[in-house]
Amino acid sequence: MSQRNQRSMPPEFDGATHWLIHHAARRAPQSLSSRLEEEWLADLESRSSTLSRLRFAVGCCWASMVIVSEFPRSRVAAASPAAAARGFVTLVDRNFGYFSLRSATLFLIAGLHAALFYGLITTLSPTRGTPAPPILENQTLEDVPREKVSVPESLTSDWTITVPKPDPEVPPLRIPSEDAATGLVKEPTEPYSPPPTPVIPALVVARVAGGPGGGFPDTADFYPSLSIHLGEQGISIVRVCVDSHGRLTSDPTTVQGSGSTRLDDGALKLARAGSGHYRATTEDGQPVNSCYPIGIRFQLKK
Amino acid sequence: MGKKDTSVRMSLQTLRVLEVFLENPTQQLAGADVHQRCGIASGTLYPILLRLESAGWFVSQWEFIDPSSAGRPRRRLYRLTSAGLRRAGEVFASFNRGVLA
Repeated sequence: MSQRNQRSMPPEFDGATHWLIHHAARRAPQSLSSRLEEEWLADLESRSSTLSRLRFAVGCCWASMVIVSEFPRSRVAAASPAAAARGFVTLVDRNFGYFSLRSATLFLIAGLHAALFYGLITTLSPTRGTPAPPILENQTLEDVPREKVSVPESLTSDWTITVPKPDPEVPPLRIPSEDAATGLVKEPTEPYSPPPTPVIPALVVARVAGGPGGGFPDTADFYPSLSIHLGEQGISIVRVCVDSHGRLTSDPTTVQGSGSTRLDDGALKLARAGSGHYRATTEDGQPVNSCYPIGIRFQLKK
Repeated sequence: MGKKDTSVRMSLQTLRVLEVFLENPTQQLAGADVHQRCGIASGTLYPILLRLESAGWFVSQWEFIDPSSAGRPRRRLYRLTSAGLRRAGEVFASFNRGVLA
């Protein structure tokens, strides 16, 4: 059966299908390459239409990719023409190294993306045609001295904060004008002289720290029974954050322990139970949110 | 040479190829013949043939013809082995041949 004579195929398509099959066979494992090429070319002769032959050739390309990925370690009878003529069957066992076809394709795609991104960055960056920036001179300004704020050691006592008040007589900053015609910056006609350091009067705020207020729970109610039994005593300092209504705004934390975890836990429970019974910190008589430490003493009665 | 792995991943296309060969287990078929009978594309067909041959279900050999006198190149012919015939029978018995209908 020779269907080759029945078909009417342009020679360029015939060459393309043969080239595809040859290319596909070359991609296959080396020991199978010649066998597959001869087999596929022989089976190609059974296809009559141009489209069918083209589909067959493209399918062979796909088949070679599958064979390459599937048969690197399998044993297939290569049966090259020379070996078949001698009656031998060769077993192939091919190792493709570290990179598979999939990995190589992945690296290739990643490289192309990187090259494309680099090209876009380098060609689209606004480096061409932009005028050179005008030359500017730097001027060193002297630091404005700051007044130190002193915080008293005892947070439970009254203390004040001095806040510098802005001086309305400080002259405005001179900004150099820009010439609209030339686009250059004109230097000010008068030499720049730093303004004299203003004398800032201190702003005094009367602040009264808060603490346990009326209705605060009794320490004895939170004295751990085991500590009573063991005779444990001590002072636990707990930090509380209280709003203007005397309620806790966050969970109390132990600042300094008493030496007994039981007493410290009891102090925390007491501090939590006292929420709503704290005396808020006041500034100029107005209650404000604040955080402050309170000391809770656990002492056994004699 | 170690023990050959005779396990084959069974796909629907593999079952169709086996079914073609099971119609007459002694016949030798080329890839083109299998394509004409079951319609599997070449990109799927030839890996299946190589897979079955690698697992020992098939053997293949070149056609004994004179290409110049036949007017066409020689083809690669595949045939079921006895082991392949037995395994294919087991596979179809497990499927009860109903899935391919």
